[in-house]
Amino acid sequence: MGITATVPGKVHITLKVNGEEMEVSFAPYKTLLEVLREDLGLTGTKHGCELGECGACAVLVDGAPLLSCLTLAIECEGRAIETIEGLANGPELHPLQEAFADLGGSQCGYCTPGAIMTAKALLDNEPEPSSQRIKEAMAGNLCRCTGYQQIVESVEKAAGCCRHAERVKA
Amino acid sequence: MLMTNLNVVGKRVLRQDAYEKVVGGKGFPVNFSLPGMLHGKMLRSPYPHARILRIDTSRAEQLPGVKAVMTPKDVPQIPFNPIFFMPAGSMGIHRDMLILSDTVRFAGQPVAAVAATTVAIAEQALQLIDVEYEELLAVFDPEEAMKEGAPEIHVGVKNNIRDTPSFSAGDVEAGFKDADYIFEGTYETQRVHTCYMEPRVCVSDTDSNGHITIYSSIGHLFGLRERMAYVLGLPVSKVTAVQAPYVGGSFGSKIDFAYIEALSALLSAKTRKPVRFEHTRYEDFICNARHPMKVHLKTGIKKDGTFTARYASTLCDTSAYSTHGPEVILVHAYFGLMLGYRSPHMKWEGTVVFTNNMPGGAFRGYGAPQAAFAVESQIDEICDKLGFDPIEFRLKNTPRQGDPHPFNPEWKLNSYALDECLNKGAERMGWSQRAKTGSASGAKKRGIGMAAHPLWVSGCVGFPDIYEHSGAIIRLNVDGTAYLSSATMDIGSGQNTTLCQIAAEELGLAFDSVRMAPGNTDNLPFDAPTHASRVTYSSGNAVKVAAADAKKNLLEVAATVMEANVADLEVRDGMITVKGSPAQAMSVADVVKRAESPFMVIGAQGPAPTTLKEKGTIMGISSVAPPANASPAVAEFVEVEVDTETGQVKVLRAVYAHDLGRVVNPAAAEGQVEGGLQQGIGFALMEKMLFDPETGACLTSDFLDYKMPTAVEMPSKIECIFIESNEPTGPFGAKSLAEACLIVPAPAIANAIYNAIGVRIRSLPITPEKILAALGKL
Repeated sequence: MGITATVPGKVHITLKVNGEEMEVSFAPYKTLLEVLREDLGLTGTKHGCELGECGACAVLVDGAPLLSCLTLAIECEGRAIETIEGLANGPELHPLQEAFADLGGSQCGYCTPGAIMTAKALLDNEPEPSSQRIKEAMAGNLCRCTGYQQIVESVEKAAGCCRHAERVKA
Repeated sequence: MLMTNLNVVGKRVLRQDAYEKVVGGKGFPVNFSLPGMLHGKMLRSPYPHARILRIDTSRAEQLPGVKAVMTPKDVPQIPFNPIFFMPAGSMGIHRDMLILSDTVRFAGQPVAAVAATTVAIAEQALQLIDVEYEELLAVFDPEEAMKEGAPEIHVGVKNNIRDTPSFSAGDVEAGFKDADYIFEGTYETQRVHTCYMEPRVCVSDTDSNGHITIYSSIGHLFGLRERMAYVLGLPVSKVTAVQAPYVGGSFGSKIDFAYIEALSALLSAKTRKPVRFEHTRYEDFICNARHPMKVHLKTGIKKDGTFTARYASTLCDTSAYSTHGPEVILVHAYFGLMLGYRSPHMKWEGTVVFTNNMPGGAFRGYGAPQAAFAVESQIDEICDKLGFDPIEFRLKNTPRQGDPHPFNPEWKLNSYALDECLNKGAERMGWSQRAKTGSASGAKKRGIGMAAHPLWVSGCVGFPDIYEHSGAIIRLNVDGTAYLSSATMDIGSGQNTTLCQIAAEELGLAFDSVRMAPGNTDNLPFDAPTHASRVTYSSGNAVKVAAADAKKNLLEVAATVMEANVADLEVRDGMITVKGSPAQAMSVADVVKRAESPFMVIGAQGPAPTTLKEKGTIMGISSVAPPANASPAVAEFVEVEVDTETGQVKVLRAVYAHDLGRVVNPAAAEGQVEGGLQQGIGFALMEKMLFDPETGACLTSDFLDYKMPTAVEMPSKIECIFIESNEPTGPFGAKSLAEACLIVPAPAIANAIYNAIGVRIRSLPITPEKILAALGKL
């Protein structure tokens, strides 16, 4: 008996990522993280543990922060997936991206995409979070560089900018 | 005097990689791939100590998609030491590791490797490799390892004692006779991991001439090249290490060779395809960690609060291989334990012991956090018992500015403001209002504590056989901007930005006119690793020298064009002017254009030929060792709240005061302090690697089991006080910052806990269990 690789057949589905429909074929056991990074070339989403413990891979699915390393990609068919690549509008950065850059919320920067996506979910739902609330919302995003102070300050600043932008729009 | 008319140094500039990182960071090594790339995986031993009797790879080799399998017989059996900061062939290091060995000395040591077309196939292939092991007795406790009859881990190393370094000054026994009081205590620290967020990763590629190019997350480009060549038995010129624009954290860990770099190169050489390895988080956890140490202190004190004798001994578990053990214990002893506080008589004895534990590695502070926990805790005990003020006591026993450097009397402590750190930090914290120890009432008790670190490094100058020189290249562009190239690795702290600030200041250009241009070991001058708090001072010096060289060349051309003397010219904000007559000005861009013009330029008076003297790209280069090893000084004050019912400790506030000579980038400096405190709170209160006592298997190899502080465990405010003492040997007065931020938090927290509850805990981490047990509640 020869040795054979146990490779299951691929599934072919359409994923809606950052507002765009993308057709993709992948082995059905692949996580959303793997499909984003390896099959769709969206390497902005990072992986720090692949066990759902560090938050580096957080993306938004239907507006809620989700750990893409614990989510099967086939479960995401028909759902709105948002990644860090979808946040900026061309060269125009999202207020969270501006704030993280300006205030040092990003040092080595590896946890940054997951932290920004988690913060976006928070601000989309709670435009005026207290700093304690920000800390609680970000407690699933591990960072070894910043001590979190500049991350919390970045989210606070972005919240102010988002509110200002909303007022201007109104 | 501190220069005050600086344009770029000291400014809160935006990190050059900031916008790149907030959009997803394409440049991380983990994103690197090449066409046709294979994926490598390692098979690891389940046993902590074993001999491999037989390995059968035939079934793995038959698996479709598997391109190569390596076992110990397929790899060069060249013993090496993985640490990058010493030459691979140095007399001063023990070489006792092999890429793949038929003797296993820790659980998880790689025994075979596979390259396959996909990660999944490589993982499946590992399961098809049959290894027959002969299990050997293992020992995990360093004290047990030294006993007669303990298993022999390395042939010929008696009682597993790798090294017994010592140090002595004066007559310590006579010193104890002079003492009015003697204090003794044993202080233990645990094995903790750096927890960089980006996994270790590398891709090796072999060209048709057998030349190997490696892309990796490592923190020393030239060390990687040298170790690769050494273990493969190649000349260094056959290996190229490519600089990543940024790396997702290191904190010391990534200045070592792991197994993956050599295995990827060997598998690539065999298959002639690029081969990528990436660690899983488990593999990162067992790759290397801070050395656990047990420190015994015996200290003689006079009634006037001066030391008569200081004795210390240190037991260091260097793990299954020598790696850093013999080095880390020396830094621990000199810069951690002994030289920061004066005493007429001193003696230290160290013991470095092999065990069957996972390898020890470098971690921010390199032996000093273990030392500071002991020394600063004991000083607190002495002050508490004898009624000395902890700040006055420290000032009485530490060196002063202008004193000879305790490590090398040929240097001076030119700039040294420990007194300001202590006094300003105390004032900000409200130290004078600190309550008497144990006087807090209620179940939740607050306390204030502090710790200092009087002596630390800005690099490794003064240690034998350790790489310390740095180089840089500056090239000016026709648009008036400059490229800086340096082999320094930016491991996340913003080194590239700091170096660009230094270059811009020296050149007289705006900050955003200088850009870091990444390179590789083929086209960059050597630089020592990103370690030992050295980059701002040591690499910064090299960058300043290269920038001064470029500026000299720039002004020589400008002098010809402007018909002025070089000595009369100055550059500021991209304009060259004649001193005293600002109307006579020319932009840097125009001078560079003139130098780069092939034949002639059009001036106000019409076409004019350029002279030979003017022609050529304007550049500056350097390769220099730093002039000294300037010492920073640091003090940290913390307030904690101890819940005496649950044993939980919360750090409420931290004030960190540091004499760093000169702040180059305030935002980056604050980030160092805040991140250091996160690691320090972890070290003090919660982080500890645990292992199965029978098998040696790591039980804390993920972030659920290995606890580090999250956002909610951090104090709401971390206050930084930076003291600019202007070090004359440093670039624009700068010394160092990074490691001290993690050296002082643990003893400051331990002392604050003592102040709150009146109970002294001498082993880290200070867990709720230890607090409740100490309070008699368990």
